[in-house]
Amino acid sequence: MIDEAALAVLTDDELAKHPFDELVVALQQAVQRLEGGSTGLEESIELYKQGLRLHAACEKRLREAELAITELGRRGVTGAEPSAEG
Amino acid sequence: MAEQPSLWDQPAAEDSAPAPPRASPRILRVTDLNRRVRSLLDADAVLADVWVEGEVSQPSFPPSGHCFFTLKDANSQVRAALFREELARAVVRPEHGMNVIIHGRVRAYEPQGVYQLYVESLTPAGAGDLHSRYEALRKQLAAAGLFEDGRKRPIPRWPRRIGVVTSPVGAVWRDINNVLRRRYPLVELVLSPSVVQGATAAPAIVRALQRLYAQRDLDTIILARGGGSLEDLWSFNDERVVRAVADAPVPIIVGVGHESDVTLADFAADLRAPTPSAAAELATPDATQLATILGRLRDRATAALLGRADERRSFIDAEGRALGRLAPDIGAARQRTADLLDRGARALDDRMERRRALLAATHDALRTLSPAATLERGYAVARGADGRILRDASATRAGDPLQVILARGTVESRVEGTRADDAEELFR
Repeated sequence: MIDEAALAVLTDDELAKHPFDELVVALQQAVQRLEGGSTGLEESIELYKQGLRLHAACEKRLREAELAITELGRRGVTGAEPSAEG
Repeated sequence: MAEQPSLWDQPAAEDSAPAPPRASPRILRVTDLNRRVRSLLDADAVLADVWVEGEVSQPSFPPSGHCFFTLKDANSQVRAALFREELARAVVRPEHGMNVIIHGRVRAYEPQGVYQLYVESLTPAGAGDLHSRYEALRKQLAAAGLFEDGRKRPIPRWPRRIGVVTSPVGAVWRDINNVLRRRYPLVELVLSPSVVQGATAAPAIVRALQRLYAQRDLDTIILARGGGSLEDLWSFNDERVVRAVADAPVPIIVGVGHESDVTLADFAADLRAPTPSAAAELATPDATQLATILGRLRDRATAALLGRADERRSFIDAEGRALGRLAPDIGAARQRTADLLDRGARALDDRMERRRALLAATHDALRTLSPAATLERGYAVARGADGRILRDASATRAGDPLQVILARGTVESRVEGTRADDAEELFR
């Protein structure tokens, strides 16, 4: 998971390598903390900035994603062959 | 064999030709005879589309992939042929002694001069028919707890890897690909191909599922097949398949056929999808909706931040007002200052007045000390030739000019003589 502290030191490139769902969760957490109202103005602004970064990273991933397909049983694919059944 | 003109095949030509004299009985070739019989059978509408119930006897499975057997009842028997393609689609493999219902047609097999039942579909008959077998198995597996709601796991909302068991050829795999490409291309698909139709499908599906079960990091599994008849979908009612679905280590979605088709595998799945495409949709979030959700999150963040800023602003406003209430009363202070100034000014005025009075008094005093006042009192000032005021008689000699300044006017005179008198004694 990407917490606030991790987020502060991650570059955009590093951020882009995280799984999409983790980015979304981090974004949700940032928004919830912002909405929670327990953060000071300075921290709120920082949270907001990180939120925008996460949002941009998510959108980029959505835009550039290409369906990856692996077929089991094909050469070069790890996994049990039919004969390994049982 | 060279094709020869045949009377039987060309009755029209025969009719138009002049009738030969009936000198001798017509001799048919065997081929002609068999062809005549085949034509008769082919022309019969009932035999072209027939349902027959009977018992399978002595089935054989030659290397050609076809299956031949005898279908019989208590009194009669008929030869039956089940070709490779139909065999592959058949729900069950013909076994000796099995009661079956066959749908097919009757034709003559010319080379051997026999007529046969050509099987298009074959299903178990009587108490063992598909529907009752389906019901019996459903009750049995339900009693074993395979279909219980409590076993159903939620489908992961954000899958990273999805395993798919289906036929790699055909519309289903293509549909799943298309749906996911459009809907959630962030996911990785792992295809475990399998035959999904015919007598070999059930064990193939089980193997394909187990290949996926051996994979790590799968979030969800989809088992899918296009629509078809009850017979086509029968492998999804096979106990081995149903149990394999129930054994899935991760949530499994079964999408078989069209909406009306419900197989036992559907019951055993964590989630039943009406179609393969629907299975792909149920397995993934929608990227279009995601974009909306993301936008909404961003808006919420903005709103929260602005809210925070507003809070700050109103806090500052409130503090400002509080400060205003707590601050000294400037009006009063100003008034006080003005009073002070007034008092100051007045004090100054008084002092000026006193100064002026003092000045006047001093002036009077000064006036009494001025030579003019002294002269007025009868004194005179004597100035010598050099214009200096004389204080000592010895500073002059007889004959020197002497100016005597009086209160009014000056006397120009000359010194007659001098004496050293003491002024103190003179005015005593």
